[in-house]
Amino acid sequence: MPLIQETDYGTPVSKAEKTVTLTIDGVKVTVPEGTSLMRAAVDAGIQVPKLCATDSVAAFGSCRLCLVEIKGRNGTPASCTTPVAEGIEVSTQTERLKQIRRGVMELYISDHPLDCLTCAANGDCELQDMAGAVGLREVRYGYAGENHLDAAKDESNPYFTFDPSKCIVCSRCVRACEEVQGTFALTIDGRGFASHVSAGIDQDFIESECVSCGACVQACPTATLMEKSVIDIGQPEHSVVTTCAYCGVGCSFKAEMRGTEVVRMVPYKDGKANHGHSCVKGRFAWGYATHRDRILNPMVREKISDPWREVSWDEAIGHVASEFKRIQAKYGRTAVGGITSSRCTNEETYLVQKLIRAGFGNNNVDTCARVCHSPTGYGLKETFGTSAGTQDFDSVTEAEVVLIIGANPTDAHPVFASQMKRRLRAGAKLIVLDPRRIDLVRMPHVEASHHLQLKPGTNVALITALAHVIVTEGLADEAFVRERCDWDEFQDWAAFVAEARNSPEAVSAITGVPADAIRAAARLYATGGNAAIYYGLGVTEHSQGTTMVMGMANLAMATGNIGRRGVGVNPLRGQNNVQGACDMGSFPHEFTGYRHISDDVTRATFEALWGVTLDAEPGLRIPNMLDAAVDGSFKAIYIQGEDIAQSDPDTQHVVAGLENMECVVVQDLFLNETANFAHVFLPGSTFLEKDGTFTNAERRIGRVRKVMPSRSGMADWEITVAISNAMGFPMHYAHPSEIMDEIAELTPTFAGVSYDKLDALGSVQWPCNEAAPEGTPIMHIDHFVRGKGHFVITEYVPTDERTGPRFPLLLTTGRILSQYNVGAQTRRTDNVVWHHEDLLEIHPHDAEQRGVRDGDWVRLQSRAGGTSLRAKITERVAPGVVYTTFHHPETQANVVTTEFSDWATNCPEYKVTAVQVSPSNGPTEWQSRYQGISEHNRHIADAAE
Amino acid sequence: MSPDRLIYMANQIGKYFESQHRQNAVDGIADHLRKFWDPSMRRTISAYAKNGGEGLDPVVLQAVRALSGVGPT
Amino acid sequence: MPFEIWEDTRAQAIITAHAGHEGAMLPILHALQAAFGLIPEAAIPLIAETLNLSHAEVHGVVTFYHDFRRELPGRHVLKLCRAEACQAMGGDALGARARGKLGLDWGGTTADGQVTLDAVFCLGLCATAPSAMIDGRLVGRLNEARLDALLEQAQ
Repeated sequence: MPLIQETDYGTPVSKAEKTVTLTIDGVKVTVPEGTSLMRAAVDAGIQVPKLCATDSVAAFGSCRLCLVEIKGRNGTPASCTTPVAEGIEVSTQTERLKQIRRGVMELYISDHPLDCLTCAANGDCELQDMAGAVGLREVRYGYAGENHLDAAKDESNPYFTFDPSKCIVCSRCVRACEEVQGTFALTIDGRGFASHVSAGIDQDFIESECVSCGACVQACPTATLMEKSVIDIGQPEHSVVTTCAYCGVGCSFKAEMRGTEVVRMVPYKDGKANHGHSCVKGRFAWGYATHRDRILNPMVREKISDPWREVSWDEAIGHVASEFKRIQAKYGRTAVGGITSSRCTNEETYLVQKLIRAGFGNNNVDTCARVCHSPTGYGLKETFGTSAGTQDFDSVTEAEVVLIIGANPTDAHPVFASQMKRRLRAGAKLIVLDPRRIDLVRMPHVEASHHLQLKPGTNVALITALAHVIVTEGLADEAFVRERCDWDEFQDWAAFVAEARNSPEAVSAITGVPADAIRAAARLYATGGNAAIYYGLGVTEHSQGTTMVMGMANLAMATGNIGRRGVGVNPLRGQNNVQGACDMGSFPHEFTGYRHISDDVTRATFEALWGVTLDAEPGLRIPNMLDAAVDGSFKAIYIQGEDIAQSDPDTQHVVAGLENMECVVVQDLFLNETANFAHVFLPGSTFLEKDGTFTNAERRIGRVRKVMPSRSGMADWEITVAISNAMGFPMHYAHPSEIMDEIAELTPTFAGVSYDKLDALGSVQWPCNEAAPEGTPIMHIDHFVRGKGHFVITEYVPTDERTGPRFPLLLTTGRILSQYNVGAQTRRTDNVVWHHEDLLEIHPHDAEQRGVRDGDWVRLQSRAGGTSLRAKITERVAPGVVYTTFHHPETQANVVTTEFSDWATNCPEYKVTAVQVSPSNGPTEWQSRYQGISEHNRHIADAAE
Repeated sequence: MSPDRLIYMANQIGKYFESQHRQNAVDGIADHLRKFWDPSMRRTISAYAKNGGEGLDPVVLQAVRALSGVGPT
Repeated sequence: MPFEIWEDTRAQAIITAHAGHEGAMLPILHALQAAFGLIPEAAIPLIAETLNLSHAEVHGVVTFYHDFRRELPGRHVLKLCRAEACQAMGGDALGARARGKLGLDWGGTTADGQVTLDAVFCLGLCATAPSAMIDGRLVGRLNEARLDALLEQAQ
């Protein structure tokens, strides 16, 4: 498609229901009350010249270019700040207005470099456009007067430059930083002629509070804030709308291209999840796609200590098929399995599970959601009937109380966090349950009413105590419960939570949260109006992760906070397609759409379409596969796009499992940590190189569109097809759309999904079928999917991971804004500028006790293993708690985490590990040894070898 | 697969179902194991239960024994 | 007039004392300048943290108002009005004279720390233009002789 030019309406949309009719340049137009004259003019097909207005931020009225005349009124009001009124007659083009506009432009241009031909914004500059629009032909003042032409350029940000010599001080960047992103990192320094845009305290952008979301660059009408990639390459010539491959927000982007080269990624205004906003990862950190570390040829080796040998696709695929067949013949049908990827498309994930179920003939398929949101799937299905969040993101605009539990949206889901912050600035109340003081607890213009800083591992005790307050203080919504839930179950549950041992006073000793804070938070949640829960892995990654998910569902049902806008229970999904991977039948016990494999009717539909008999027994989950591998009964694995050696818990156990297998097939972009133990490497493709769909945290299915040819020659789905064909289970698909058609045919909740529909609607939220042809933004509106809402008793069972004299501190883990999961992508971009190593956050008190100073190397030791990293002393963590991220393989944070896992799903207990911290000189023995193995096992033989 | 890990996991599952007042814990545990444990895991734990089942909580032991002979294990 | 030496805890006490009021930033900035004679950069994070604003926002306000100083003033501060009415009554020439005599540009302070010369835009004394203010005291109907006297007094 050609370069997409989205309409800029100049000012935000008015949501008023009442309409107003007026005339603009003789054209009658009817718009919602509160609409600006500028926006109404666009609706009437008329562009009023403008510079300081853009529709992502409120009108400002500073550039004086958009003036209009209104019959019967004096003066020339700015059309951006003047609202429509019934019956008025507006003129946007009169001789008087032309004179004024030309005069204003003349002043702007008198202090602007005249280098349009060599300017990076040439062809995409609103100042240039406006000079043309007002017919500026000369600048009578000359260019010799005082000016800003020599102002120094700030190139400190790796992705964009700030050139104040080109700045017209329209404040669009400042306002975008405030209103769109909510960071407030920019301001206007000084006044009058001296006024200029300042990042932080007149600092370089990189030193300031800027989070590099790109909103300012997006808003800038000139070349002042400009992507370095555009400066390097030039203006793009066509756009392709696609979906970001980072977090579960699933932002829609325009890939702006020159041929097959990406010039820039620009957030798409029509994207329903992001509405034209972005974060530093999606907007800028796409350079990994062309990074020199990309492996572009398939590789094979006999032993993992051998160097890699580059081979043809045919040889690699043939080798995989013959090995898997050999191993199945020797060790049995169930000695092999595979892992689907939450980074890959729905279609690719679907094919991997199909290959395993139909081609391998067993159900040993699992997905990385095992280690993140598997408890969400179990818990929400059990209580509500659907393994997914209940709301769309926009629902938060109607929330009056936001309850964030074990999630850190400003780092991990930044674009949704911006939307949430906007709502909080508008007055919604915030409660945070987290062992760590996340930014949202207190940051400019946002302050939580309550931060319940609980001890890691005590979620369930706390959620039950919140329920205790709601029940015993009579705050439950009985009418809702009677109508929508199982009343007897509710009464049982109410009696349980009302027990004295579940009171805030009793639970305070367990959680470390003062009883009055628990009571106040519970009252606010129950009585503050629409209350919405947003949660993350701080809920799920516990031995009682599933119980906690159900505890939150209980709370929402008991207070009637489910089934309409502004409320609900919402998992913030970590990866772009975690929701999709789960939907696509990646779990060993269920088909697409969360239907158990033992269900004969469902299985029969798959058997009929696939033409095979399917196993009715659940297969192994990832940790079970590894256990079985260590025991010697599991011998081969096909891993698509997951780095279990870095991301899964208890690394030494993972490595032992991998080392014990006879054929490990890794399909990835890079030689990841798992590839160190692989026998076959199949080079995958990035989201830029293939077609497909991702499903975000709000169940929104969005298109992924190919913008460049696959660099390895095969899209991931094509690789799976090739393996399946070589294994003797033929698959025939010419295009991923045909795979989606098959998914729709087999899956009632996807029955209405097709690429044609996605092209027409942009995206669609499942369930999408005959009952909801355009999808389902809010679930459980009139009744729960399962029928009656199911209350579950949430008995607190402390984890067996306990602190003691040897390991007196609790380690919890998380994520940071600039890096993404195991860092395979973001570490290969300039995002390392912000975070080039994992740090251990430790409270000053604990640091002092151990003689640790800020920046010191420390050894972090648990009963599972030890690693070394640098300490960061901070009061973000409570005394007794330490925290780190897991973005860097050198750190190997998961060497420390243990084998404990969620009772229902085996989701690992990443969030609670008893550790000791002590001063250290550098990397541990394990780290050094691993580094050695890793370097050795990465070796690729020269063609001549 | 090593029984130790399976015993631990089964007891974890047991604790949840024991706390659910309205459901028979033995049925709940057995159903969960059938739905989510691969047959080889169920075989291992059943064999272990047959040999005394030391370390399995009483209700879990009952459930595991109920598993044996049911379904294609 | 003597100012206190900048000290974070003292500054924080001043900030905290005003923090509860609506629109606390300007009263805080005035109080800090009254105590310390200036608003140093170190004040910005303290104010931002207390009022839950960004550094940029506080910096924007501080730099918007010429009256908030980033550096300590001299012992005497002479402000000459440069607004329209005073200009019409010969203010520009008086300004040039003052700058010449002190060897300063607008906003400068003499090397001995004795006098700071500031421009001001309207003291509300247009009827008695040109006007000035010395150490907070208003002076109307300024002429060369009266200016010289003020300068002498200050130096």
